[in-house]
Amino acid sequence: MKRPRAPAFGLRAKLALVALCLLAMPWVGYRYVQEMERLLLEGKEQTLIATARAVATALHDRPVLMRVAPRDDSAARRQADEELQQLARSRLQTEPQQAGQNVSDAAEPEAAGARDQTVAPLHQGPADGELDEIAAILQGLERNAARIWVVNRERRVLSLTGSLKQAPPAAEPYPDGIEGWLQRLVRPLLSRLIRAPRAEFDEPASVTAMERSNEVDNALRGLPGARVRASADGQAVIISAAHPIWSRDEVLGAVVVEETSHPILSLRNRALERLLVLTLVVFVVGAAVLLAYATRLSHRIRTLRDEAENAVDAQGRISRIVSGSRARDEIGDLSRSFSSALEKLSQYHAYLESMASRLSHELRTPITVVRSSLENLKLQPLPEETRIYVSRAEEGVDRLSRILTRMSEASRLEQSLRSAERERYDLSAVVSGCVEGYRLAYPDRCIQWQAPIHSVMVSGSPDLAAQLLDKLVSNAADFAKPGTPISIDLALASGEAMLSVANEGPTLSEQIRAKLFTSLVSFRNQRPSDEPHLGLGLYIARLIAEFHGGSVGVTNLPDREGVRVWVSYPLS
Amino acid sequence: MPRRIAIVEDDPTIRANYAEALRKHGYEVCAYAGRADAAAAFRLRLPDLAILDIGLGDDYDGGFALCRELRALSSQLPIIFLTARDSDFDVVAGLRMGADDYLTKDASLPHLIARIAALFRRVEAFKEAPPVEQVLERGPLRLDLKRMLASWNGRAVDLTLTEFWMVHALAKHPGHVKDRDQLMREANIVVDDSTITSHVKRIRRKFLAMDPGFTQIDTVYGLGYRWQESPSR
Repeated sequence: MKRPRAPAFGLRAKLALVALCLLAMPWVGYRYVQEMERLLLEGKEQTLIATARAVATALHDRPVLMRVAPRDDSAARRQADEELQQLARSRLQTEPQQAGQNVSDAAEPEAAGARDQTVAPLHQGPADGELDEIAAILQGLERNAARIWVVNRERRVLSLTGSLKQAPPAAEPYPDGIEGWLQRLVRPLLSRLIRAPRAEFDEPASVTAMERSNEVDNALRGLPGARVRASADGQAVIISAAHPIWSRDEVLGAVVVEETSHPILSLRNRALERLLVLTLVVFVVGAAVLLAYATRLSHRIRTLRDEAENAVDAQGRISRIVSGSRARDEIGDLSRSFSSALEKLSQYHAYLESMASRLSHELRTPITVVRSSLENLKLQPLPEETRIYVSRAEEGVDRLSRILTRMSEASRLEQSLRSAERERYDLSAVVSGCVEGYRLAYPDRCIQWQAPIHSVMVSGSPDLAAQLLDKLVSNAADFAKPGTPISIDLALASGEAMLSVANEGPTLSEQIRAKLFTSLVSFRNQRPSDEPHLGLGLYIARLIAEFHGGSVGVTNLPDREGVRVWVSYPLS
Repeated sequence: MPRRIAIVEDDPTIRANYAEALRKHGYEVCAYAGRADAAAAFRLRLPDLAILDIGLGDDYDGGFALCRELRALSSQLPIIFLTARDSDFDVVAGLRMGADDYLTKDASLPHLIARIAALFRRVEAFKEAPPVEQVLERGPLRLDLKRMLASWNGRAVDLTLTEFWMVHALAKHPGHVKDRDQLMREANIVVDDSTITSHVKRIRRKFLAMDPGFTQIDTVYGLGYRWQESPSR
């Protein structure tokens, strides 16, 4: 019988693969967070533009303010100034027409004068009052994380307030409970994948100035705008917005407001963190549920499979399938259809089983008619020449009735096996006794038999064991070449007694060997004796071996032409 | 006065054949096709011996029922089952119903007639003890060949005719192995080997029921059976 085996690629493995679909969830979440980040950045730009506008509004229509040079001599500011000047010059050189046009278009007499003196005011004494005014205005606007510049048309920094750098936000405290625990787990992982906003980054005012030129240009041309750029060292993202300062129709300067995207980034990171935690939880729970479901499903299917495999036992009896027969899902359906198929099979099986005995029973009546008629005929005074026909007819009837007896032999044996009693007996004594009989029954055959020294105790029925050996020996006697011996052997091997009967003669092909022990299968070419052969002998041998809990088989002899039929009996 | 034998058999040809053969042997025969006819006739007048088929037309176990009815009417009436059914189950069931013998239809007419004669002898022996007894004694076993009665340690063993003849065949020559063919010949039955085995088993059980130490019938595997004179305990 086949041993139940684990499928190579089980349901559980498959469902685990399917569960990988859940991994799409964090990706979708990540896309969502990205979108959110973009929106926030846009919002931030708008806010910064609004701030710039507000500052600019305070500075509108004050041409005087814009013309002064900054008083502050801080190194950063000076540097920024120089850079701005340099930039303006280089721009004028590289794009003289555009820049010239630009300036001349917008130029007012004062502005032109101012430009002529681009360098000069730096060295002039500052107009303290005006600059203080700007500073005062800016002071009111000072914000934590923003830097506000005011530049005049010459790109000279008139005022600068605030700083981009701020104290790094304290790491968010972990919430209580499972979520906090999971976040503790996730945060280090996440920080590897996504950079946390850095408080430390390199953003010198000078470089900033160079890169800032676009929106400043636009602002000086009268167009407010915003831009997102990386810091000089790429460690931070800076959003800068510029707004022109108007005096009537003339642009006097620009207000530039800068801020890092750190608040947005930390917001995004928090969102990602929560998202990751939630996905992890959902994934784990989902996978656990799926796995549990798959386990249950595969358990049910395996139970069904085992039952279906064992539904037909060694004696060919068919039992019912019980598992899941009440369940209302597909597996229940499967079990029910298995049951009904098995039931039909068992009906058919029963029909086949009773077929031989029914047939023999049905035929027995007409044979009895013939036989009794012949016997009555014999009682009549008959002419001598008629008698011979009567005796021939009787011979035929006898043979017919022997065939019928053989036909029902297997089914009668099956019947008696069901009620047979088991006893412990010495198999070697039974075989020895039988061999004595065979030597009488087959006087022209040499039967080789060496009894084992020890007794071989098995459990079963000695009569049946003798009947089995009868079948094997009569088979061997039929097939053995004339003059060759039949050897019977009983050996002990690993808890089993191996009884084998070997004879020289025609060998059997693999295909035949597999079918030889089935009911009504015979591979005899010619009929060696008068006995009818219905292919039941080895089938009966198998039934008896199975009754003893053993098995039968046939192999070709390795060293010479012939076959060896073996029966294994478990030792008792 | 000729003895009356009732045959209950559903097949008309077989019925007619058996009836004729028995008539030729000087018996008076009443043949019935079905259980109802037979039962009605038996209630009017009992035959001296009844031969019953088990399956009677559509009545699958009609013979068994008829046997029970007959036994209720008379405990002495010899009953033989003559049937196509040869399974152990049917044999055991038939004998348990109180039949004196069970033959399959393989049995030839001469066998059947010999059996009928033996049964009549047994019945007669009950009525009047014969002056000269033909008896076989082997230790505690005593076989009365005239009356077909067996006893063990003085107590009667209830053997059927077939069983009686098998015991007789074995005990006649203690120590000699009788193979299945010989037993079949002695007991006048035509059955296959496994039925002989189950007959022997049944005989053993009957003796064992009276004497748990009964080991006289010895199985010689592959050969047959023999009667052991001295119990090997």
